[in-house]
Amino acid sequence: MTKISENTTKVHHIRHLTPSTYVLRFDRDQRPFTAGQHVILGIHGQKSAREYSIYSSENDDFFEVLVKAVKPGDVSQKLKELHHGDLLSVEGPMGFFTIEPEIVTQGKVVMIATGTGIAPYHSYVRSYPQLDYKMLHGVRYASEAYDRADYDPSRYVLCTSGENAGNLHGRVTDYLLENEIDTTADYYLCGNVKMIHEAFDILKEKGVNHAKIHAEVYF
Amino acid sequence: MNMSDSERVRTIIETQTGYAWTDNEEEANMLGILACSVRQKAIDKVYSRIQKWNKWKHKKSLLTFISGCILADDMEKFLKLFDIVFRMSELEKLPEMIRQYGVVTPASLFTDLTAMPKNESINTFWKVTPHYSSGFEAFVPIQNGCDKFCTFCAVPYTRGREVSRPSGEILDEIANLVGQGYKSITLLGQNVNSYGHDKKGEEITFPQLLERIGEAGDNSGKEFWVYFTSPHPRDMTDEVIEVISRYKCLGKQIHLPIQSGDEKVLIRMNRKHTLEKYRDIIHTIRRLIPEATIFTDIIVGFTGETEEQFENTRKIMDEFRYNMAYIAQYSQRPGAVSSRWVDDVPTEVKKTRYHKLSNDLRRVSAANNRAMVGKIYRVLVTGHDRKAGYLSALTEGKIVTRFASENHDLIGNFVDLKITSSTDFSVEGEVITKT
Repeated sequence: MTKISENTTKVHHIRHLTPSTYVLRFDRDQRPFTAGQHVILGIHGQKSAREYSIYSSENDDFFEVLVKAVKPGDVSQKLKELHHGDLLSVEGPMGFFTIEPEIVTQGKVVMIATGTGIAPYHSYVRSYPQLDYKMLHGVRYASEAYDRADYDPSRYVLCTSGENAGNLHGRVTDYLLENEIDTTADYYLCGNVKMIHEAFDILKEKGVNHAKIHAEVYF
Repeated sequence: MNMSDSERVRTIIETQTGYAWTDNEEEANMLGILACSVRQKAIDKVYSRIQKWNKWKHKKSLLTFISGCILADDMEKFLKLFDIVFRMSELEKLPEMIRQYGVVTPASLFTDLTAMPKNESINTFWKVTPHYSSGFEAFVPIQNGCDKFCTFCAVPYTRGREVSRPSGEILDEIANLVGQGYKSITLLGQNVNSYGHDKKGEEITFPQLLERIGEAGDNSGKEFWVYFTSPHPRDMTDEVIEVISRYKCLGKQIHLPIQSGDEKVLIRMNRKHTLEKYRDIIHTIRRLIPEATIFTDIIVGFTGETEEQFENTRKIMDEFRYNMAYIAQYSQRPGAVSSRWVDDVPTEVKKTRYHKLSNDLRRVSAANNRAMVGKIYRVLVTGHDRKAGYLSALTEGKIVTRFASENHDLIGNFVDLKITSSTDFSVEGEVITKT
């Protein structure tokens, strides 16, 4: 593949997961990347752009992002209408929501996400097969359990608030309240700020040290 | 940052376009603005200023330009209002834009200004030898851009990603300034202590840069102080503090923005550090450099800030005993992530919190200043004081000082003062010796 310019890349394809949510794959162009980082994406030649966590693995030769189309006119909606070969403007990867190497090899991690906040965790799990993890994914309906088959079923807990179709009928914070917490693990929180604040309080209350709580707010 | 940028712009204009500097705005034939996007108010002022200038065009020949931190939306609007719009990284093209103006218009269409900023060409800007506006105080850019994406700030969208200036250039510029007798040198960057991160091992780190400056400075036989601003707590390592403690020429004043004293507000601000991490940094500073003064930045009334969360910020004012804090009432900045959120703290509440926190600051600052009374401090004389017959000075910790003297030759030099009295935000002293 040839880069058009430093900040331009080409779309491979779009894989639709639900009517509004999709995975956009595009050229990586050998950009270095650590699982948990994000890119700033926009349509080539247009000024609006948004940040998206990378969904694919460090070992893939492409990038993927998990996008929920929000409303007409938004970048998320415009990206959904792209086709193979269309040009994207991309900046990055960048960001700090990464896992320390010693935690990857020796630690335990609990990953808590709402909605598309699962994107960086998908990248962790695909990049680090040895990772000792537990995943709490909060969605409204089970149809939003994006690429559930990519996770070890014994490590994955689906919390559905809008129907009784997951491992728990309720929110991820309900799961945290009702279950024993491993205070030796590192906790990763990603998604809407309300969930992050509530989970933060519960974890603190249950004795998890601040330094072991890592958060990435989705805007 | 804008001071340093403007010194370089002035150099380019004076040396390459034939225009000469004037302090009189009304007699100028070329007027320019280096904008700042940190606050919306600053951008609002740009609009009122250019309207005035455009009216003057009916009476005289006048060319206008704008550069600096500008969001894409504002760029588009400025293209219609200013004759020349350029990114700071394109400064080398400015003389050509000026020469071509009227021949090829608009001159600002040399480049796609609404695209995401690319920072690679900032290297050319750094090579410009600036016309320093002071004879004893200079600002040296070492880094540009930001990768942190704090939700209240638009800088990542106006300045682009973090790019570090080659250390050789920085060390040369500082050596030159020291040789000329400069006494206060400030290293500048939006995230000054992330210096070198973008080079991924191919450039020295920030503490290594400080160490080289410290070594060269202490061996130079010259007396001067080197500061840096603004650091991000996430990148503030023990090594940085340890290096500052070791070298005489590295100023014992650290500006460490905290923005909020509440963990949950820090998360919403996307600050990427906990209060615990910040506390550890302060403890290390107090342990290794007990004489250091600590300054900070705080935003009150950030979106969603509750009364309890604000009270947590008040607590840290007492805990960290800041010497100075730059407190701002939160306002939405178009382009920043938080501008997509409802600004739900009423203006009156923001004002009340601002005054409460300012009073807290006044109390701790006054106590810090009282503790200086009776002690001797080396100060750099910076100019005339508002009080007749007095000169202003700054201690190494940047505490504002005044002393009675009619000797204007002291300006730009060091003197020793015995502190005789203090106020909330300054101290007064008597000269002990003169260098």
